[in-house]
Amino acid sequence: MTALAVLGYGLAAIGGGIGVGLAGLGATQAVARQPEMYSRIFTVFILSAAMSEALGLLGFVLFFIAH
Amino acid sequence: MNPLGALSDEVSKLVSNIATQPMIGWATTFTPFIILIFLFALILILVSARHLKLVPQNRFMGIMEFFVSFTSDNIGYGVIGESAKRHLPFLLTLFVFLLLSNLFGIIPGLRPASGTMGVTVCLALISYIYYTVQGVKARGGWHYIKSIGPAGIKPWPLGAFIWILELISNLLRMLTLSVRLFANMFAGHIMLGVLATLCSLFIEAAIASLGGMTVAFGGIGLLWLLLLVVMYALEVFVAVIQAYVFTMLSSVYVFLATSEH
Repeated sequence: MTALAVLGYGLAAIGGGIGVGLAGLGATQAVARQPEMYSRIFTVFILSAAMSEALGLLGFVLFFIAH
Repeated sequence: MNPLGALSDEVSKLVSNIATQPMIGWATTFTPFIILIFLFALILILVSARHLKLVPQNRFMGIMEFFVSFTSDNIGYGVIGESAKRHLPFLLTLFVFLLLSNLFGIIPGLRPASGTMGVTVCLALISYIYYTVQGVKARGGWHYIKSIGPAGIKPWPLGAFIWILELISNLLRMLTLSVRLFANMFAGHIMLGVLATLCSLFIEAAIASLGGMTVAFGGIGLLWLLLLVVMYALEVFVAVIQAYVFTMLSSVYVFLATSEH
């Protein structure tokens, strides 16, 4: 049962990882094109990274609650 | 001798220690830390109100002025625009409370007040009620209810269906706001606790074995300690970022509820 829960968390982490990676990719490309917009792009990047990261963390917390 | 043998027991002890436990009456183990935050914020506000000058005189006042101007420029005026002035007290209160609670939680021995579901759900509820009331004030009740869904969809059953979907996503904002903050704080503390437990288990094993394995166990224990320090720095960053994200999203919701679009 514990092994299944750990496996489930690993699967949940894939989605969050892809999401944060895409956000970082978009932010880097945007900054490379328009370096003067750095501060606004950084704000948007932090917001979207936090949103997708929350999904991975949900899996982490559920693992401990179900444990 | 396997130092990982006791890990599962230690981790379940750790989780039950971090989870909310009832103390006396209605107070839980998190209540003293909420009171501590209010006292600390009160002291900060009173001290900075006494030293208020046109040009900040010392480093403390410089930090406080930077904090206020960051919140009003970046979170308030940057998102809401010209009408942000009336929402600044709400946003600043939220940001101060979250920042203090997250940063206090990082100090070893203290708990984050935002690391319990009760506090984060209440904060999300306050945010939801605030932006709904502001939306109703800005547009009037019927117009606010209509503005939850997009306007001008031609066959009206389709418009009603989209309105219902938008209402559900509107209500889910409460859940996502509260769970994001809670999960970040809770998961961060469990992670730091697990790393500290691993470090102490390996160093205990190194002391107990007194032989060829001492150096190996000690070295692994020190590696866990190094990882703990790195993760601690990351957690300080996460504490600030999560306070920022919560306040920023509240600000975005206020903007969506009150703006003309």
